[in-house]
Amino acid sequence: MMNLTTEKAVSAAQADETDTIVNFKPAYITMGVMLVFYVGIRIYEQYFGWKAGLDSFAPEFQTYWMNLMWTELPLEFVAFCAIGGYLWKTRDRNIDAVAPREEMRRILTLIGWLAVYAFSVYWGASYFTEQDGTWHQTVIRDTDFTPSHILEFYLSYPIYIICGWGAFMYAHTRIPQFAKRISLAFLMFFAGPFMIFPNIGLNEWGHTFWFMEELFTAPLHWGFVFFGWFALAVFGVARQVLDRVIELSKEYEKDVLAL
Amino acid sequence: MSASTETGSPAGKTWKSKEEFLGCVILTDWILLVILFAVLLGSFHIHYMLLAGDWDFWIDFKDRRMWPTVTPIVAMCFAAAAQSFFWTRFRLPIGATTVVLALLIGEWINRYDNFWGWTFFPINLVFPSALIPMGFWLDIVLMISGSWLVTALLGGLGWGLLFYPINWPVLAQYHQATEIDGVLLTLADLIGFNYVRTGTPEYIRMVERGTLRTFGKDVVPVAAFFSGFISMLVYFLWWNVGKWFSTTKYLEIEEV
Repeated sequence: MMNLTTEKAVSAAQADETDTIVNFKPAYITMGVMLVFYVGIRIYEQYFGWKAGLDSFAPEFQTYWMNLMWTELPLEFVAFCAIGGYLWKTRDRNIDAVAPREEMRRILTLIGWLAVYAFSVYWGASYFTEQDGTWHQTVIRDTDFTPSHILEFYLSYPIYIICGWGAFMYAHTRIPQFAKRISLAFLMFFAGPFMIFPNIGLNEWGHTFWFMEELFTAPLHWGFVFFGWFALAVFGVARQVLDRVIELSKEYEKDVLAL
Repeated sequence: MSASTETGSPAGKTWKSKEEFLGCVILTDWILLVILFAVLLGSFHIHYMLLAGDWDFWIDFKDRRMWPTVTPIVAMCFAAAAQSFFWTRFRLPIGATTVVLALLIGEWINRYDNFWGWTFFPINLVFPSALIPMGFWLDIVLMISGSWLVTALLGGLGWGLLFYPINWPVLAQYHQATEIDGVLLTLADLIGFNYVRTGTPEYIRMVERGTLRTFGKDVVPVAAFFSGFISMLVYFLWWNVGKWFSTTKYLEIEEV
């Protein structure tokens, strides 16, 4: 009888442990890996930018820079397809039957995805973009595929696109409020920064015509600005997420107001 | 992996206890704030560097006319949008200060790690403009008045007028006159000429020129006043831009 009771208590405790509603560990680990990766990339460019990145016709440029680009681009395309494909394949096919607790768990997982997306947006839009400004005001380019571009346009931008795509698809395939309809804010939050990538076409096309290094604020660059504004749709996404959290937590409304 | 039926709790109940709810909500609130901060940092930074960057990058671009005109106007966009979101939705008078703090963190990391660390420009040449007191000003006006109209008029004008004085304590030393080979120039110009960039040539450098220069001491007040005037208009526009991006509308799947 004692054994039975103990067993029951243990299994109940185990069930309780697996029923944790919030787990940001995967998001923290992803951001940690991203941080280490980008620091490593930064060290690489510190060394090989000056050593092998000044003359695109030199053999070492092909070795250290073009090979990097031809490696990263296919990998990014595969990652984009794999993440979207996996999330779609494993989607919840009975979205109307999601219990409130499970829905809350998924909303919290989405917040983890958004944190990773936000972190990758910082690296792409802030760190590597302004870095590009100082490199091109210092080293005259003789190609569209310069060391800073290979890491900015063709690495950090695709990475944030992949993270945004993952967040969007996770919400669309698992969370009822985002599954049945398309959130306009979420669509803009993903699609606006995504459009910065195709805008590189305009940018590089312009750079082949005109010498634009003299001012970073040259009008040719304003396409990036326009699409960057759409990241402000994070406001709408935050509201939609918080609105649903409030709806699911009505029973504790007074406790929140007392905080 | 469909987990709709794998929930441990009975249907209809979200939280197991009040403690779980409170712990979780407080943690996720903080994470959402970090998300907002990082996204605003990225989007504000790309906006700012590509619309006002050159004046902000280089000490020899920080003149009395173009720099105090362009920089506050460009910075006002995100300050107004963030105020619109934080104030309208949460009654938090922190929008302007938050975004300029985010921007400056991004800028300082970049100026040290890339401008100095990768392309070897001295920090004296590339430090960013100060903006935080302007953020305080705009948030305080909104907090006290509780009105975006008053903030646009009073806050916007102050935003433009404050820019030059708050930067002056750091900038003054670089505007000292110096003479090199019989040419009179400022210390900022001298530093700039010693570190040649593609933005160095005199025909490119968009700094004070024309008749206004001959007005001497009047240049800064005129530029700051003009900047404040445009900042007011920008505030009206971008308050509504922030409001528009706060939309909670949904589209039917067939519409997309």
